[in-house]
Amino acid sequence: MTTPQPAQPRPAQPRPAQAQPHPAQAASVPLPPADATVHSTCCEYCPVACGYKVYTWPVGRTGGPLAADNALGVDFPTSALTGRWPSETMHSTVRVGGAPHNVIIIPDADSEVVNVGGTHSVRGGALAKKVYDEKGLTADRLQHPMLRVSGQLVPIGWDVATDMVAELSSYVIENYGELAWGMKIYSYQYYENTYAASKLGLGAIGTPNWSPHHAPAEGDDVPGLSDSGIDAFSAAFEDDREADVLFIAGSDPYETKTVRFTTWQSPGGAKIIYVDPRRTFTAAYAENNGGLHLQLRPGTDTALYNAIVREIIERGWEDGEFIRDHVASRAELDEDSKWRRALFGRTFEEITEYLMSSDEFTPEGAERETGVPADKIRQAASMLTAGGAPERPRATVLFEKGLYWSHNYENTAAIANLGVVLGSTGRPGRAISRMGGHQRGGNKAAGYPLDKSPHSYEGNPVEMDTERWLVEGNTRFRWVVGTNWLGAMGGTAALTRAVADLTTRGPAVTSVDPATALEQLKARIDADGMVIVHQEIYENESTPYADIVLPAATWGEEDFARNNAERRLRIYEKFMDPPGEARPDWQIFAEVGRKMGFDGFDWADSNEIFEEGAAASSGGRRDYGALVEKARAEGKRGHDLLRELGTQGLQTPLTLEGGELVETVRQHADLTFKTASGKANFVLADWDAVKARNELLAPDPARGEFWVLNGRINALWNNMFDFARREIATTRWPMNFLEVNPADAEDLGVVSGDLLSIESDRVIDQLGEPSTGGFTAVAYVSDIVPPGVTFTYFLYPGSPANTVTPADSNLQPINLRYNFKLGRGVVTKIGTTELAGKMSFAPRNLAPTST
Amino acid sequence: MPLTRREFLLAGAAAGAFVGAGVVLPVAITLRDENGGPDSEALIYPRQRIASLSELQEGTPVFFDYPLVGQSNLLVKVGAPAEAGVGPDGDVVAFSNLCTHMGCPITTYQAAEGVLGPCPCHFTTFDLAHDAQVTLGQATQQLPRVLLTADGDDIYADGLLRLVYGHQNSLVGAEPVS
Repeated sequence: MTTPQPAQPRPAQPRPAQAQPHPAQAASVPLPPADATVHSTCCEYCPVACGYKVYTWPVGRTGGPLAADNALGVDFPTSALTGRWPSETMHSTVRVGGAPHNVIIIPDADSEVVNVGGTHSVRGGALAKKVYDEKGLTADRLQHPMLRVSGQLVPIGWDVATDMVAELSSYVIENYGELAWGMKIYSYQYYENTYAASKLGLGAIGTPNWSPHHAPAEGDDVPGLSDSGIDAFSAAFEDDREADVLFIAGSDPYETKTVRFTTWQSPGGAKIIYVDPRRTFTAAYAENNGGLHLQLRPGTDTALYNAIVREIIERGWEDGEFIRDHVASRAELDEDSKWRRALFGRTFEEITEYLMSSDEFTPEGAERETGVPADKIRQAASMLTAGGAPERPRATVLFEKGLYWSHNYENTAAIANLGVVLGSTGRPGRAISRMGGHQRGGNKAAGYPLDKSPHSYEGNPVEMDTERWLVEGNTRFRWVVGTNWLGAMGGTAALTRAVADLTTRGPAVTSVDPATALEQLKARIDADGMVIVHQEIYENESTPYADIVLPAATWGEEDFARNNAERRLRIYEKFMDPPGEARPDWQIFAEVGRKMGFDGFDWADSNEIFEEGAAASSGGRRDYGALVEKARAEGKRGHDLLRELGTQGLQTPLTLEGGELVETVRQHADLTFKTASGKANFVLADWDAVKARNELLAPDPARGEFWVLNGRINALWNNMFDFARREIATTRWPMNFLEVNPADAEDLGVVSGDLLSIESDRVIDQLGEPSTGGFTAVAYVSDIVPPGVTFTYFLYPGSPANTVTPADSNLQPINLRYNFKLGRGVVTKIGTTELAGKMSFAPRNLAPTST
Repeated sequence: MPLTRREFLLAGAAAGAFVGAGVVLPVAITLRDENGGPDSEALIYPRQRIASLSELQEGTPVFFDYPLVGQSNLLVKVGAPAEAGVGPDGDVVAFSNLCTHMGCPITTYQAAEGVLGPCPCHFTTFDLAHDAQVTLGQATQQLPRVLLTADGDDIYADGLLRLVYGHQNSLVGAEPVS
């Protein structure tokens, strides 16, 4: 008997653009009539989370062009900047209560926060193309629970599906322990879903085999900043506008936090110091408008920030008053029981001694280490402090994944030190903060069981690297929720090969009879194999390895709540029917929890979870307990009170004073910090450790290798679950791209539009071994990247960029994170594409001089 | 008193200004679409002569209103084969220059790159050789493309693809150009 192989990954290829309308037919968009139903929501994508209004009304009617005759309340044609023009992309057809309805999803023009006046990004502006349209490009939403039988997915209904998931879970836990039961799940996707999932996985089951969509292990993404005592999301967007200087590292805010840039950063007129190996739009904007672009070599952030901090200290430009009153002494640091702070926390004197100990942190030394000219390092130090002028400029420091996913601990420590030395925290225009990747919808019903983790650093337990654990054959059941797990992890190719092996051990499922199928899956588990459940809205490249596929209902199909990157809590209302049998994730977790015999999974609706989760949010940055308390006092549901607050919401943590809700605009406003002493501290940012890692990870030009950096771009979002089904996105980006510097392109004989392979036989895999991986992409020749450096989109379907990124968390043993941003590979032209005449290869970094 | 759409444009309405537009209702609607709205097939795009091929200078745009007063467009010879380009070199194209993000007029054409923009309001750029794809920026539609016909030395506009900013229907809401 042969063992069937899983189906080959079938990436969600972008759909061809829709046919253009006949030219005689004037383009038009239906207007919502004055009595259209209105719902409040926010954008699904970036952490800015612009506010949106959703108008639904039955097909067959339209509003009129006069203000009185449409729900937008304006006369058409409407003029510039009204925020009340629905483009064709803002309209779709959906079902509400089973009946066909028009839907217009448009930025909230009445908003006085976040996207003031109804501005938006290209991502959010096309939200209407996200929704399930049974005749449109989203028609391939998952609609039925399915079981893979002889390689094919067949519908099995919810009752059978949740029976099987519960039975397999119980079987694995009983026979192999809870460490063999794993969940890989989004960290961000609404409080109701993350709370329910964690109540099952971390609470009822109590497994440490639990990790988020973006990392091999649970835990802190910015440990260096956390160890300084400063919260990762302490700032408010208004700090960006009030700042005199913005120091931005590791993410282009125009591209990926768009409205934060266009509404809060550029209009404020702050000088921007922008740190990035690439000369992106914001790099050009900074230079054109009195700022700086610090174009460092990949992987050298730590040396750069250490040098800037040293320059500030050497010249006496630090915030001496803040350091004297609010930075911990050695005795105060020693009171702290947190092991990382005990090992790496530093006083001002100690960090000064470290920075002065090496010539690598002089401007000239740092130029050698980072490639940033010494003069620019001096200028940066001077701009951040006005050269020590008595009136200190308001400096805000912002950063994101380009920084903390190249070298996690040291880079976050080094940038934390910059914030602390500037006293940039807790005050208007003076903050240090992550900018955020996703929105903030994580709420945990139970703590992570760190004591059960098999992994540790110098005797201190750290969260389990679940991918290493899995590749080693220890995971027998994995429930993957809302992520293209394989594409999203480093070392994708090696991980995929391991998964293909583990899911084909023992007998295959050959029967649609649930009892027989269960026995076959249990036999695989007993044969040291693994069973995968994939809970998603669309199939993606991880789905072919799943035995059971569960269709999820999502944004717009259920009432949800979450925060944005300035801790603004808002409602995301249900306004339409989910497709087929799809259910909200929380309902699926609840049903499996009940069937496994656990108590506490009897919620009637998502509001009940929201209210129950208030207690779990207590004391943290997302604390919304006061809102639920006030709602109950007024006889309301928590969601309903939040609904009354619309797209404005409230900034958490919330408190009640005299029966009124009080929000927290910025954290640390009282200059107390999250440490035992309440004081902040400096953190050792060990450049020697980084240098050693860089030697292992850097490309070798003699082998023809380039840096292969990856990240987001303006027009696309994550694994493109929505964007592969969106004409505006696939017309612009019909394939994944690789940015190549013109000089390198000439050496390689490559022009824009050529098809390239990017391949490496030196990928460091989950077990620390050299491995192979590769992907293809279309060449985009541009001086946005310097020679020796290439850049690609990180999660384009069919172009798995993480096949060439390292996956050995032992490289960063303090906090198990991947060096996602430090891929490498050999670039080879393997052909041409038809895209040269179809796709724009114009420069993407044309910035104005001033506005 | 609100400005008319044309006054709004003639005034060179600055980025950031909020200007009320006058409303001109369509004069002839005979059919309705599935939503009961004006059926555009009942509304005919006029043919309008825009420019002479022989007078076009590569990289120097010509601005014109079409099909309605206040619907501002630019015509440009981009100097390289362009998607849907007309003329002997296939490089003459025309697009609405009202940004499809939030309606700001874009007049900066960067000839070396063949792009319109960045828009003064939110910095969107459009690649005119590639059907006004959003090279980088926030617009949710490519710029409306003017359908061109070259007849001898004359370039005519014969219609418009995609919805013009501010309009519910590209042929409704203002007087036709004469």
